[in-house]
Amino acid sequence: MAHHVSRITDHTGTIFDIERFAIHDGPGIRTTVFLKGCPLHCLWCHNPEGISRQPQLVFTPLRCIGCGHCLVVCPQGAHQLLDGRHLIDRERCRACGACAEGCYAGALELAGRQVTVAEVLEEVLRDRAFYETSGGGMTLSGGEPLAQYSFTRALLQAAQAEGVHTALDTSGFAPWRRLEGLLGYVDLVLYDVKHMDCERHMALTGVSNERILDNLRRLDGAGQPIWIRIPLIPGQNDEDANYHALGQFLAGLKHVERIEILRYHRLAESKYANIGWVYPLQGLKPPTEERAESRRRILLSYGLSQTIVG
Amino acid sequence: METVVGELTYQQRLEALHALKLEQAREKREVIGPRDADEQGLILPPPEVREVVEAISGSGEVVRDVIIKTFKPKSNHPSGGFFGPKATGENFRRLLEVHPTYIQPLNSMAGVYMVNFNSYRQPGWNPDFDYSHLHEEQQKYKLVHGIGGLQHFCPDLTIGLELGWGGLLEKVRHYREVNPQAADFYDGLEEVILGIQGWIHRHAEEARRMGETEERPQLRKNLETIADVCERLVTDPPQTFREACQWLVFFQAAAKMYNGSGEWGQLDELLRPYYERDTAAGLLTDEEAIFHIACLLLSETAYIQLGGPDAEGHDLTSPASFLVLEAIHRLKIPANIAIRVGDDLGPHLFRRGVEILFEDRIGFPKFLGDQSVNEGFIKNGYPLELARQRIYSGCHWLAIPGREYTLNDIVKIDFAAVFDVALREMMADATVTPGVEELWRRFEKHLRRAVEVIAEGLDFHLEHMHEVFPELYLDLFCYGPVEKGLDATHGGVEYYNLCCDGSSLATVADSFVALEQRVEREGRLSWQEMMYYLETDWAGPEGERARLMMRNLPRFGSGGSRADEWAVRISQTFTRLVKQNPTPQGFNMIPGLFSWAKVVDFGKALGATPNGRYAYAPVSHGPNPDPGFNNGKGGTPTQMAVAVAAVQPGYGNTAPLQLDLDPGLVRSEEGVAKIEALLQGYFDMGGTLVNINVLNKEQILEAHKDPSKYPDLIVRVTGFSAYFANLSEELRQVVVDRMVAGE
Repeated sequence: MAHHVSRITDHTGTIFDIERFAIHDGPGIRTTVFLKGCPLHCLWCHNPEGISRQPQLVFTPLRCIGCGHCLVVCPQGAHQLLDGRHLIDRERCRACGACAEGCYAGALELAGRQVTVAEVLEEVLRDRAFYETSGGGMTLSGGEPLAQYSFTRALLQAAQAEGVHTALDTSGFAPWRRLEGLLGYVDLVLYDVKHMDCERHMALTGVSNERILDNLRRLDGAGQPIWIRIPLIPGQNDEDANYHALGQFLAGLKHVERIEILRYHRLAESKYANIGWVYPLQGLKPPTEERAESRRRILLSYGLSQTIVG
Repeated sequence: METVVGELTYQQRLEALHALKLEQAREKREVIGPRDADEQGLILPPPEVREVVEAISGSGEVVRDVIIKTFKPKSNHPSGGFFGPKATGENFRRLLEVHPTYIQPLNSMAGVYMVNFNSYRQPGWNPDFDYSHLHEEQQKYKLVHGIGGLQHFCPDLTIGLELGWGGLLEKVRHYREVNPQAADFYDGLEEVILGIQGWIHRHAEEARRMGETEERPQLRKNLETIADVCERLVTDPPQTFREACQWLVFFQAAAKMYNGSGEWGQLDELLRPYYERDTAAGLLTDEEAIFHIACLLLSETAYIQLGGPDAEGHDLTSPASFLVLEAIHRLKIPANIAIRVGDDLGPHLFRRGVEILFEDRIGFPKFLGDQSVNEGFIKNGYPLELARQRIYSGCHWLAIPGREYTLNDIVKIDFAAVFDVALREMMADATVTPGVEELWRRFEKHLRRAVEVIAEGLDFHLEHMHEVFPELYLDLFCYGPVEKGLDATHGGVEYYNLCCDGSSLATVADSFVALEQRVEREGRLSWQEMMYYLETDWAGPEGERARLMMRNLPRFGSGGSRADEWAVRISQTFTRLVKQNPTPQGFNMIPGLFSWAKVVDFGKALGATPNGRYAYAPVSHGPNPDPGFNNGKGGTPTQMAVAVAAVQPGYGNTAPLQLDLDPGLVRSEEGVAKIEALLQGYFDMGGTLVNINVLNKEQILEAHKDPSKYPDLIVRVTGFSAYFANLSEELRQVVVDRMVAGE
């Protein structure tokens, strides 16, 4: 809940990462800020630590040296060393961060920290020279930036005031007025479309796609430059019918500059275990290049020549 | 391999020559063992005359080497060694007289070197020239002091291309009359030239003989041409493109043989006039030109700059620049080629360079920022026109061809060794309370002293080197030495700008910040406990925890951190100390940050350090952040670039950024543009040079386990390029650690 903040740069929010040299989040070389918290819960999410708004304990077992310090400092007694294995009772853990602070091996970390706009901007501006040479800038992603509306708005305003190109990577799942309120500060919107069928969308992400598609139409109607991102998840949203529906829908928009088909990959799988979650898509194999190319051809058949496989 | 009726295409010939090169590299590895240095054109002498010995390399390292055992130099000194220009020249000529010829019928170029003349120089330094008054401090700070350092400056090959060996001989004989007092010097020069002429002539004879018995018409013709070309080059300057390439092959083979020298410099400009003339006359196709360049590049991994400005700032990029790139692109062997990048300089060459970097993945080309090196060099008091002529001609360095003596990349001050002295001194001083500022005060004091000792050593070198092992060979391709009768090391050339590099910046910056944060501010360790952990090399679970605690901090590279501030402070202090005074004899020194391959050796000489480094482990490289600085993860390219740009000494010598990039970064034209933008942004921030590897992580890990599985895997180690399989295990580990930090 936003309280009155006198200066844009004093706004605070929760982020879980700032990635420099992000080259797949918009044009040029960018810095991507990942905001924590998302109303969706996609089965394939590559940033599971961004879904919950609350800080979470991340445990990377390979780094643990078994020093036992966390056992001692944890007020909830959530850590155990059993038969040489380090176990965490997630029910007990309150993500207070005491164990992470003292874990010098870097095995325990807290995902999610409070920052001010000023702090974020200071880091973003470090790569200013590269934004200038590459036509890059700052991208807000996550999680869902619109879920921290005033923080997102302040970040975008502050970046823009510094002459930095801004991109917003969003699911579009929020009241229209939130998107509308940002239009003046966003140079480019990266918009995900996960499934055209409402029921399938609900099963895959936990929410309906009606508002998402509606917002997309309105963004387009407002003249906002848009890049569409289509995650390609084999067996979940890659069927022909979905792509034909996508083709029809997108062909009716006027300001879609690029369409990226993003092939599912498994690099994020270990993150789930590290936050104590079960990975929903066990054993799913990434799509082949041919499969991705065939999806692209369907979209091409609707005149969407700006489609690439990312 | 060949058909009975048809001729081989250039591509087929190159493929066969490439396979031969790999075989020769493998043989070298077997006989000499691992070698932590540039891949070289050297091939092994025939088995019946070869012998493996321990020797000192051109950079002052103890190395294993192969000599021709039938050659024994003549001594002119009680120590058994030979010193001074006359004895040096005579012995070099005698070596050339027994040095085998090398002609490969598929290759359009003849000649390769097989031994290092320097390996016969035992002892290397004339003991009559005593600098024992410097020993104590040189050893105290573990300085690589540069006394006796060889070459590492750039010749102007237009001199040789215009005069030919006959013209050079005439020139030497002419100036001998002008400077009778330098008779020994001119004796040495003449012996060198006569030796080379004889060697080239033997190639002509051998090629003629081989041609007479060669049955395959294509190869017979090639051998006959080789014979004709070599015969002409004994005395005459090259006239054709092929002859120019052949002249450069012989030049380089003999240069490497003499004392390890390895630069062609602005190769595209050297070849351009011949290329233009021959193509205009219909005598040369691009395909043939590429083939000859490829054969030239096969003969040696010499240092080359492509593109760049002339003295007035006009772009030197020409079609020849692209031909050189294309030749290596087809050959795919180790190469040390830098593209000079700037506003008014060939954008297409830059673009093509990045494309090739990601396509071939052999760590070439590297990229040099024109504006930043020019602006830096000017600060030494030189005009922009001169700065522009300073050409990339070594691992991390530049020099003005024929006119500047630099002794680049030899002198090294290991900041970590100086830090260690300061720390121990402070802890042994009972009158003082240990503290970070106190430590800094002592570090600066010792660093100042180290620079002074280096400066004295350089004066000593410049005073006596000409009487020990003069630069006779490169003297021929300079302005001044022949004319004045003075060796390049002793006043023969116009400009003296001696390179003084610092190394292990991250190790020290991270050590300062770890002490400041964990010991001084947080009080988690006392100074005594800290020293205990260093002495015991972090032994035991307590020690390991302490070690990780010292490492688990925002380190140099993370950006905006105290460690970044410390790194800048160290670099700026070092720069000031090097620049504030010339050497006692008045020679200018220019600071840089680079470790060459010494990260392993410096590390072995040093115990544990407060940044959490284990005893005897490698130290950090040059100006680069330590791998894993990003909270245990690898640093992003922009973080690295911003960090290294901030610590540039800024006087025209480089502090190279070492990037190891994943091939997946560039999958399209767009990706290439982003890498260009990355490099350009780095140069805009004052960065000077970028060395890049594009390597697949999995492959490098596999190759490290069993190098023989990837005999043609080439890596940019630091400034130089080598077959991964030919490096020592420790240096391979350093490369691997960079790539897999945090995993």
